[in-house]
Amino acid sequence: MSSLGYFVEQYVMLAGALFTLGCVGFLVRRNVLVQLMSIELMLNAVNLMLVAFNRQHTADLNGQVFAFFIIAVAAAEVAVGLAIVLAFYRLKSSVQSDEADQLRH
Amino acid sequence: MQAIEALFPANNYTLLAFIVLLPLLGAAVNGIFGKRLGKEAVSLLALSVMFIAFALAVVTFFSLGRAQEGEEAARFIWKGWEWFRLTRADGGSIMLDVAFSVDALSGTMALVVTGVGFLIHLYSVSYMAEDPSFHRFLTYLNLFIFSMLVLILGDSLPVLFVGWEGVGLCSYLLIGFWFEDDKNAAAGKKAFVTNRIGDFGLLVAMGLLLYYTGGLDWSSIGNGAKNLLQPVQVWPLGTHVPAASLLPQGWESWINMPRYVSAATLVGLALFLGCAGKSAQLPLYVWLPDAMAGPTPVSALIHAATMVTAGVYLLCRLSFVMVLSPAAMAVVAVTGALTAMFAASIAFAQHDIKKVLAYSTVSQLGYMFLGVGVGAFSAGFFHVITHAFFKACMFLGAGSVIHAMHARIHDTDASQDMRNMGGLRKYMPYTFWTFTAAWAAIVGLPGTSGFFSKDEILLKAYTSFVKTPIATMSDGGSGTITMFVWPTWLGSALYAIGLLTALMTAFYMTRLYIGTFFGEFKGWKIVKNWQEPEHAHGHDDHTHGHAHHVPGVPLEGPIPHESPWQMWVPLAVLGFLAAFAGWLNAPLFHIELMHQWLEPVFAKASGAVELIEGAEHLEFAFLGAAIAAFAIGSGAAYWIYALQKGKPAQSFVEAMPGFHALVFDKWRVDELYDEYVIGAVDSLAEFFAWADKWIVDFLLARVSAFLVSISGTALRFIQTGRVQTYAAIMVLGLGGVGWFFVTPRAEAKLDSNDESGIYSLTAAPGLGYSYRWDLNNDGKWDDKEKFGSRTQQSLNLAVKENRTVRLEVKNAFGRTAVRSFNFARPAPDRSGATSRLDGDAAPVRRALEQRQLPKPQEMK
Amino acid sequence: MTVGNVFFVVASVLALFGALMTIASRSPIRSAVGLLITIVGIAALFLMLNAQFLAAIQLIVYAGAVVVLFVFVIMLLGPDAGDGEGTVARARLARYGAGAFFLLLSLGAAHLVSRSGLTPTRFKFAPAGHGSVEAIGRLLYGSEVIPFELATALLIVAVVGAIAVARGKPHVRRESRSASPTARMFHGPLMARDAQRPLPTKAERAAKAAGGV
Repeated sequence: MSSLGYFVEQYVMLAGALFTLGCVGFLVRRNVLVQLMSIELMLNAVNLMLVAFNRQHTADLNGQVFAFFIIAVAAAEVAVGLAIVLAFYRLKSSVQSDEADQLRH
Repeated sequence: MQAIEALFPANNYTLLAFIVLLPLLGAAVNGIFGKRLGKEAVSLLALSVMFIAFALAVVTFFSLGRAQEGEEAARFIWKGWEWFRLTRADGGSIMLDVAFSVDALSGTMALVVTGVGFLIHLYSVSYMAEDPSFHRFLTYLNLFIFSMLVLILGDSLPVLFVGWEGVGLCSYLLIGFWFEDDKNAAAGKKAFVTNRIGDFGLLVAMGLLLYYTGGLDWSSIGNGAKNLLQPVQVWPLGTHVPAASLLPQGWESWINMPRYVSAATLVGLALFLGCAGKSAQLPLYVWLPDAMAGPTPVSALIHAATMVTAGVYLLCRLSFVMVLSPAAMAVVAVTGALTAMFAASIAFAQHDIKKVLAYSTVSQLGYMFLGVGVGAFSAGFFHVITHAFFKACMFLGAGSVIHAMHARIHDTDASQDMRNMGGLRKYMPYTFWTFTAAWAAIVGLPGTSGFFSKDEILLKAYTSFVKTPIATMSDGGSGTITMFVWPTWLGSALYAIGLLTALMTAFYMTRLYIGTFFGEFKGWKIVKNWQEPEHAHGHDDHTHGHAHHVPGVPLEGPIPHESPWQMWVPLAVLGFLAAFAGWLNAPLFHIELMHQWLEPVFAKASGAVELIEGAEHLEFAFLGAAIAAFAIGSGAAYWIYALQKGKPAQSFVEAMPGFHALVFDKWRVDELYDEYVIGAVDSLAEFFAWADKWIVDFLLARVSAFLVSISGTALRFIQTGRVQTYAAIMVLGLGGVGWFFVTPRAEAKLDSNDESGIYSLTAAPGLGYSYRWDLNNDGKWDDKEKFGSRTQQSLNLAVKENRTVRLEVKNAFGRTAVRSFNFARPAPDRSGATSRLDGDAAPVRRALEQRQLPKPQEMK
Repeated sequence: MTVGNVFFVVASVLALFGALMTIASRSPIRSAVGLLITIVGIAALFLMLNAQFLAAIQLIVYAGAVVVLFVFVIMLLGPDAGDGEGTVARARLARYGAGAFFLLLSLGAAHLVSRSGLTPTRFKFAPAGHGSVEAIGRLLYGSEVIPFELATALLIVAVVGAIAVARGKPHVRRESRSASPTARMFHGPLMARDAQRPLPTKAERAAKAAGGV
């Protein structure tokens, strides 16, 4: 017990679990908003792993800077993604991803 | 005259260029501008071009006459430009130039071509006057004269071949002149294709001559002709006929054995194949009767006077080559005789006047080849000239008759049917008298041209033969080949066939003559001042087939009219020549102008031709036989058709209907060709059509398209348009990629050196790989079964030792993979023997050297 | 059992619980709250990892902007934001199968890693100022200034884009009167007859699916 939180492998496992949850959520849920939130989960998992490795190799701060930029990009992406969801809702009156099959054969 | 000789020296005789190019100019202008120029201008241009060419030919003829004194043949050459320059294997070069030359033979022929051509041009101006494509006709006629002149005046075989092909082309164009009717177009096509089969022979001959004599112009061939007396090995069915091994003992070697012929025989036979195509001999004569679908002036010019005699001209031109092979000459003579008889037999049963004349042409061509084949070149050539006169006269006369018949009967076949004619001598006197002159010539009335030329051929057929140039030849190895010797019985056989054919010729020509001009006119009821009924037809609907009369009501029509002067003046000229031109060469009366004129040209060939013993005494006997043949033949025909009104012939037909049908159907040779030759091609085409339909279209196209569409249908399931689906598939792919990275692969690169026995292995790297080896094949891993990082191992093997090496690889995830490698060091090869393939090559190489033909060299 | 261990356990439990809540909730607003909980948990973990600046940024940006955005949109959508009760869930097997497959992959990867015999290494002592505002600021305005500026540009573009996409068209969609099919293909429905009719509403679609063809 005295080792919890001081080994990088634990953070990696945790991040992996979070990533898995996010990916499963994306694959299973039909609601577009929940899918977007799952994507955010995955990004957060990656952020966690980056920062954890950076804590292991403390020569520089590359991991944290990387995570910083991921946060910035994720914010931008969410903004645009939600705008798309709104436009999609205007078109189809629904936020089920099943409805977005215009590119079907 | 001196002025001309000064202007045109013998080695730069530019007049030849004018003679040849003037008709081409006429053809070009008429062809391009003819429609706009109008009928008068077109005919004036065409006729004047021909007349000038004829005049120049006359001038050339006289210049030649003055230049040729004694034994040496005079020859005027004009060299146009250098066409090909071939490089020989030894570095020398062979020149093929576009050059024209004229000597006694071609000068005479040029006179005939331009003279008769001019007369036929004049005739056509009137005959084709109402045809809408008048200018096209005269263009083609001029083009034909140009090609014929190139053929005759060419100084080398390639130039002759250009003319040869040109006359073939013009023949096609002119036979199919009224091409809107399929029949005419098919006839033109048949002529061209049959010609083409013969042209293959001419091309093979050109190749052989080039190889053996080292040149293709007449002088080079003449200089190198001796080289043709070499043996050529021919394997008729190949060196290893597949099924021959099944035959009883001895047959196989007999079939696979090479045969030896002399090169001269090959050249002669190949040349004759070309002549058989062009001059309508067996078996390639089938195009000439069909060629009667063309307008009658075409039949007169091309298929009587000029083009079909090009084959005879070729053999006369290369007479010094032909006499080197008595075998080939015998083939020529026999084929000519058989063709003559065969065609004459068909002419017995024909009703169409032009068809009778066509078969008569084939028969007379057979005579010419008979004469040439036995070595009587000038006799055969004289028959060419006389035949040109009387046959052209007859064709033009027939055209005149058809012209008159066509005024009322518009159907092409009916207007040419002799059963609709008769008694025309009352209504068409000029035509009648000129036709009589031509008839007299062809049946051999004593004193006419045909009598003298045919009599001479018959005499020479019996008495003349070709000597064997050398008795034996070595076959390149140890054996000798004996050459063909002219059989003693061949002369009498040829004579018998020729005499019989003369009798038959007299018979059917008299039948034609009586049927057309004597008796009652059977075409229509002649009404004075007859008017054309309501709808006026021009004379130029050669495509309409209706007879325009109500059946049951007898056809009424006008008096058959005589032809205008443009038509009967050529008839008169030709008739006169047919009657009296024979006196140019009447050996009986010791007039031998033609022989003496042509003697220098045939001097080289005459050395190889001999007469049998006692030939001089046979002249009068054979003369009597010829006159008897004429008398019996024409007398019988006169008796049957004039006196008995054709009843004996009728009863013969009724008695033997099957035989008559066979002869009427031309012995069904065309049907035979259609069945077997064209049928074979049709079967091949049908097979390919089947293959195209079922293999290409079905298997390759439809089945593969079906497979693609099925896979498309299958793949369409995942194309849902939803991102979640795509993400799921990406996850599947991720699984695959992950599996690829997670499994280890044990690979190693082998480096084997058999001679020194050192073999090395280099293991391939990977993610976190560690390696474990088992080099000594004891089943246990080396190095205490620990995984290390050593990737390179090498081992020494003794001679003929085998070893199996194992490699185990573990990756970062702890998964392992094993692979084993086999090494065998072979025993070194100290035998020094070469491989089996090399061993087999040596005898083949030796055999090839043996078979190589000796280089052309001067033979003593 | 130090404070650090407890802190780690609490933070990771929070993160995992929040993640489960996000992906498993029926209502989207609960998913948003779950996301918020995860973010807070991750921020706490950042603090354990000497990434103070990042923890602050995480809370400000993620919890303060992204989750708020989600909530705004859910509010805009109203009752339509949730899973539709009436619609038929299509391809349920494929979706759950894909999810299960990925879960399997993930468990397999975890198993492989655990078997691989790695020796876990404890964190070493971090230098002072590791992950502090000054350190990151020095980097961002020093060696990483270009990516920083690019990120700024990206944010502006994202703003413009979001406005452009979400604004909608104020004018009435007019019938495309282009002559050629090619032109119609590029601005308008493919077939002229579609231009006149508006798309069916959800009620009409439901009625058609239930009663019609």
